[in-house]
Amino acid sequence: MPENLRVKASNFIDETTKISFKFNGKTYYGFKGDTLASALISNNIHLVGRSFKYHRPRGIMTAGSEEPNAIVQLGSDKALTEPNVRATEVEIYEGLEATSQNCWPSVNFDISGINNILSPFLPAGFYYKTFMWPASFWEKYEYFIRKSAGLGKSPTEPDPDIYDHKYIHCDVLIIGAGISGIIAAKIAAKNNLKTLLLEEKNELGGLTIYQDSDFFKIQNKKSSDWLKNEINEIKKLSNLEIKTRTSVAAFHSYNYLLARENLTDHLNKEEKKNKVRQRLLKIRAKNVIIATGSIERPLVFNNNDRPGIMLSSAVKKYADYYGVVCGKKTVFFTNNDSAYESAISLNKKGLSVEAIIDIREKSDSELVKEVEKIGIQIYWSHTVVDARGYKRLKEIIIMPLSKDGMSVIEKKINLKCDCLAIAGGWTPAVHLFTQSGGKLKFREEDQVFLPNVSQSKQISIGSCNGDFKLNEIIKNLIINVKNFLEIKNTEYDNLKIECPSDNVKKNIWLLPSNKVIGKTKPFVDFQNDATAKDIKLALREGFRSIEHVKRYTTTGMGTDQGKLGNMHALGIVADTAGVKMGELGTTTFRPPYTPLTFGTIVGRNVGEFFDIFRKTPMHEWHEKNNAKFENVGQWKRAWYYPINNESMDEAVQRESKAARESAGILDASTLGKIDIQGTDVLEFLNRVYTNAWSKLGIGKCRYGLMLNEDGMVYDDGVTTRLDENHYIMTTTTGGAANVMGKLEDFLQTEWPELDVFLTSITDHFATVSVCGPNSRKILNKIIPDLDLSDKNFPHMSFKDAHIDKIKCRVMRISFTGEQSYEINIQANYGKSVWEKCMEAGKEFNITPYGTEAMHLLRAEKGFIIAGQDTDGTMTPIDLQMDWIVSKKKYDFIGKRSLYRSDTIREDRKQLVGLLTDDPNEVLEEGAQIVAETNKKPVEMLGHVTSSYFSPNLNKSIALAVVISGKKLKGQKMFVPMKNKTISVTIADSVFLDKENKRLNA
Amino acid sequence: MLNYNSPINDKKEYSDLIMSEIEPIIKINLRGKKRDLLTKIGKSLSIIPPTEANTSSGNDNLNIIWLSPDEWMVYSNNKFNSENDNYKLEDGLFNEISKINYGSVTNVTDQWVMINLKGDKVFELFSTSCPFNFNKFKNTKGSVVQTVMNHIDVIIHHKNINDINLFVRRSFSNHLWSWMNDSARFL
Repeated sequence: MPENLRVKASNFIDETTKISFKFNGKTYYGFKGDTLASALISNNIHLVGRSFKYHRPRGIMTAGSEEPNAIVQLGSDKALTEPNVRATEVEIYEGLEATSQNCWPSVNFDISGINNILSPFLPAGFYYKTFMWPASFWEKYEYFIRKSAGLGKSPTEPDPDIYDHKYIHCDVLIIGAGISGIIAAKIAAKNNLKTLLLEEKNELGGLTIYQDSDFFKIQNKKSSDWLKNEINEIKKLSNLEIKTRTSVAAFHSYNYLLARENLTDHLNKEEKKNKVRQRLLKIRAKNVIIATGSIERPLVFNNNDRPGIMLSSAVKKYADYYGVVCGKKTVFFTNNDSAYESAISLNKKGLSVEAIIDIREKSDSELVKEVEKIGIQIYWSHTVVDARGYKRLKEIIIMPLSKDGMSVIEKKINLKCDCLAIAGGWTPAVHLFTQSGGKLKFREEDQVFLPNVSQSKQISIGSCNGDFKLNEIIKNLIINVKNFLEIKNTEYDNLKIECPSDNVKKNIWLLPSNKVIGKTKPFVDFQNDATAKDIKLALREGFRSIEHVKRYTTTGMGTDQGKLGNMHALGIVADTAGVKMGELGTTTFRPPYTPLTFGTIVGRNVGEFFDIFRKTPMHEWHEKNNAKFENVGQWKRAWYYPINNESMDEAVQRESKAARESAGILDASTLGKIDIQGTDVLEFLNRVYTNAWSKLGIGKCRYGLMLNEDGMVYDDGVTTRLDENHYIMTTTTGGAANVMGKLEDFLQTEWPELDVFLTSITDHFATVSVCGPNSRKILNKIIPDLDLSDKNFPHMSFKDAHIDKIKCRVMRISFTGEQSYEINIQANYGKSVWEKCMEAGKEFNITPYGTEAMHLLRAEKGFIIAGQDTDGTMTPIDLQMDWIVSKKKYDFIGKRSLYRSDTIREDRKQLVGLLTDDPNEVLEEGAQIVAETNKKPVEMLGHVTSSYFSPNLNKSIALAVVISGKKLKGQKMFVPMKNKTISVTIADSVFLDKENKRLNA
Repeated sequence: MLNYNSPINDKKEYSDLIMSEIEPIIKINLRGKKRDLLTKIGKSLSIIPPTEANTSSGNDNLNIIWLSPDEWMVYSNNKFNSENDNYKLEDGLFNEISKINYGSVTNVTDQWVMINLKGDKVFELFSTSCPFNFNKFKNTKGSVVQTVMNHIDVIIHHKNINDINLFVRRSFSNHLWSWMNDSARFL
């Protein structure tokens, strides 16, 4: 039966609700409100894990998110198990299961504990010096290193939990609901500011809420009672939103913050079903007040990592808040007065405090006097030189300090204890401040980094701003908040505050020992097993910058990000190297402040919402007719339509053949369409395209090429003149939004004098493209009153028409080289028109074809696809499209760049056709092209951009870009592949119907 | 006869929230910079177009929403029964504005799908995926904003308090509809 270490009932734990949970397979009991850590301690379980490198036994050290040791694996379900969770942050619920990490077969007996014996061979940086020989063995070493790396185990199945995001905008965001945050929140909210208060714990009040001390009073009440009242009042304020169990993860620029709200982790399985588990809050605040408090520092001495060695504030919290005693014989070890407050608190509960070890020579504060009155022995000017007890602290050894504090003198004293509460001072939590870009300053007197200059509208208050005494905290925060929020008066202006007087602090980063440092293990970073020894080694090896020392020793690189140890590392570097701490600076604080699950980051963007998809008006028809889809940007485009279990290749061959032999139908709705109106449109078109537009007649269509200012092909499409000042421009599917944006940008910024207006109509029209020798006959059945003769309706022209009284536009343009008509009709009629075409085309075996067949058909004609045959580095001349570059136009976008020395080079990559010697051999797109295979290194002359087997030519064809390709027609080249080399000949890029006779067939 | 197929054709009810596609609704995009354009529009539609950013004006039949200093969208309050109604408005405006070079008139009826959202939880729904600050917006009848929801461009017209007409490009509408329904179940 596990021991029960509960003291008298706490106000914060519901002892009427007993909860059972499992730890390492055994069942224990706690109460509602307990964390896993407090519940374990109440069952006298201190050994919770093994350290990362040395596999030393480790116990719970803190009571908060700064916990380095008590990192557990939650749950065993393959999908739901979660590694590296802090036991100090998990609220227990019925059925919770947790296991120790980084140990095998158990935390009590861990085979890798041998690492501790081998530790002299495993100092910091040993990775860089071992596993080097022989070089061929590296992959063998790597296998074992990977197996032993990391702490917990990742889930192996998809996460079934639900996560969510939410945007919040507020006037004031307050981070932290300790006494500072509560007062700031009330001031803000009562001054009609929309206020959001976030607290990472489940209760408001920080450490004041359980302070319960006659030494700390506000308005003649105990600080904890006064604060309780304030909390009750702020809960009633209508423009104050309070979120608990919410931890701010990141503070980005312009007061944009991310916070994780835990909604159901504290609930049992049934209660959390189908509910959102965690929510990422995306907060934009006009003003931010950081009230994140400070983190207690440990002390660095030999074997300071024994289970049972805990922070003094944690020991107090477990006793006062959770009602749990951390040890039957507690000794305090301190360098300041806060340990005395904890000792008094324990004594009040009837708990044994054996002694206080204080490195200072003396302190006369009220707290010290009270401790002396109680009769607790104080060892002034003493230090702990060793802590003994492998799986649980059994005793400590202390020695007097020399006058200068640099060494120990006289005799050793052994003290029996099972809990050593250490108090090394306080480190302001400035992480979020620096994430936001704020610069810190160093205060020498108590060796803390404090917020100095910020980049955004924010302030820090309370102990994170360097105020540690209650009266200073409250007095300063009121002044600062009033100034910050421009408030004249508050109800707090004349508060009466009583607290102990200022206490003397003494700081020794690495406490002296009676042994040489090489024979000791004073831990600085508990999670990564980095010791003071390692830091000194890094300095001896020449590392000076704190960033380099961090990386060499891995100090501060664990999941706790060195919250406990970074200052000590900095201090030891400064002392050893003889530099000032303020000049060394800190390492960079990066988000997240505490770990975030991937689920929280992703939110609802999983499954069908992983990416956005766009559908054409005919999508339903495609789906029903077994189309396979490809993603073209965000569009789902029909790729091919297999019938009778066809493979993709078979379907594409059939579709391509049918389109040339009779009739094909393609959904071209995704192409960008821009409506252009205005008296200056022709001038505008002349400027944006390379070719000439001034003589484009009404009712005519023209193909155009668009360049970027660097002369590279950017997009292409057909523009139709509907009327005197009315045009429709088409773009590529992928380029639609970019082209629209770019053209609008030019009109607004470069050419505001032009009378031109653009409106996107990409989604307004469905586009049905019917091509092939029988396309005219099909159109004739659908639009019988439209004269489709070549004379009336030539290639590259358009007609207005009606289909069943619905207006439409028919463009006679072709991307396949076949006679072809594109019907543009309002999207909500698109599917119906498609079906009508299919019906009308039945007798002609009209065949729906997808994007793959479309690519093949245009390649047979040598038509480029921007983005397939171009990659942003091809000019029109490179594409052998000199014909489309007007020599007469004064200017167009990119014109000047076509005459740069680089763009007029003869040996640029140029578009060519490729024919394989074996006509059945189809080249791979992207394959390299070389002239010689024996020469080493092989000179790559180009690559294949498009490649297909043409059913209409009954051979393989390809388009490629090759250096000086224009001059190499007829030349033999090679395409080296993994297992063979393919012989090819450079050919014309137009493989079929060079005379374009099929357009008018 | 051609069949009319709107992309969503659905209505969903949640606690304090009702969402439905409202189609077919006439929508016409107007652009222009000339000083007399606003007068022309006013005469044609009997509504003075809004000149202040992100506002709207309207009457029983039509609304005009501000999209940019030289762009507005006109949309009808009521579904139309025949395409002739659609063409009539477009042709009328085209002749009064575009044909005489006062600006551009473009039919965008099927470019945008209109979704109406009503209820106290409308803005809570928006907060799940829209970064815009609705604090002032939700208390201002007639306010308009162009923003994104789950990275999809939308136009939001606050027609009446807690009564929103949301416009999304047709091709994105199915995805957005699914997203909004997914979010609504957690409100």
